[in-house]
Amino acid sequence: MGLHLFAAPLVGIDITPGVHETVKVAGLTINIDIVWATIIAGLVVITMGLVLRAKATSGVPGKFQLLWEMAVEAVQKQVDDSIGTRGAKVVPLALTLFIFIFTCNLFEVLSIGSTIDWLPAPTSDINLPMAMALYVFVMVQRAAIKNRGPVGYVKHYFTQPFSPKMFPINLFMNLVDELVKPVTLTLRLFGNLFAGGLMLSLLAALVIWKLGAVPIGGILSVPFTVVWKLFDMGIGAIQAFIFALLTILYFDTAMASDAHPAPS
Amino acid sequence: MAADPSVASAVKMAGAFVGAGLALGGGAIGASVGDGLAGSQTIAGVARQPEAQGRLTTIMFLTVGLCEAAYFINLVFAALFVFSLGK
Repeated sequence: MGLHLFAAPLVGIDITPGVHETVKVAGLTINIDIVWATIIAGLVVITMGLVLRAKATSGVPGKFQLLWEMAVEAVQKQVDDSIGTRGAKVVPLALTLFIFIFTCNLFEVLSIGSTIDWLPAPTSDINLPMAMALYVFVMVQRAAIKNRGPVGYVKHYFTQPFSPKMFPINLFMNLVDELVKPVTLTLRLFGNLFAGGLMLSLLAALVIWKLGAVPIGGILSVPFTVVWKLFDMGIGAIQAFIFALLTILYFDTAMASDAHPAPS
Repeated sequence: MAADPSVASAVKMAGAFVGAGLALGGGAIGASVGDGLAGSQTIAGVARQPEAQGRLTTIMFLTVGLCEAAYFINLVFAALFVFSLGK
């Protein structure tokens, strides 16, 4: 007796997102598949950089060099538009984040939506996005302290949006504003990639959908998966760029002088 | 009155599914309104100044990405409810 359309809901299959190969090291559980995927992504980025360095020419650039120049120009332009020349130090960080996150996001194309993929997108686990967001957060605070000085940095929290008389409201608003930054930065990237993986699992689960002897789900899941993965590559590029862009904007607010607050 | 474990788990699961549904529904409404606004304003901008299309398209995709992100954050929470808290 074959599975019927109504008798076999898709819930019937076990979808278990967020399951990883784990290793216990000194009481910490480490998602080892994310670790090796991250290392591979890093190696890919470093190799691309070294290859570019070997092949870079001031003459007619090849396609590979053009690709890199496009990425560098896009980030450079954003920094120049928002921070200005002061922000020259932000360019390498934002560019590295963009290239690395984009490479990580592309790993989603390799996964098939099984419980444990052997090469998952490292950004589809919350640990990597959170690590990157916290790094950006710390560097932004450091830039703010460097810009305003320790006293000015603390004073900034009390005197910013409204007049200094309303300092409790100022303090509250500034604290929420700062603390929410790493959280949203993490969840935005993680959520998009996690949803991508979940969608792949759902598309794989479609295979159990049959009408009599006709495996409709199996036939449908192939084009759906192809279309979704193409779409997901676009999402990955946009999210990588948004991560880099928000990094630039956070540095912009941190490096802005108090007299001319940056438009938000 | 001692709670029947099966009833307790059923209530938990029902709550998880209702919560996930509310999160996804609300998130979808918000994200679609945001996307619609971004798209309509981009069209208006291009209609006014066709030469600005390149720049406007970039900004539109960024805005759409930011709007969608709110929905995807909700989706993470919905998955958290359904797959781990509701078990």
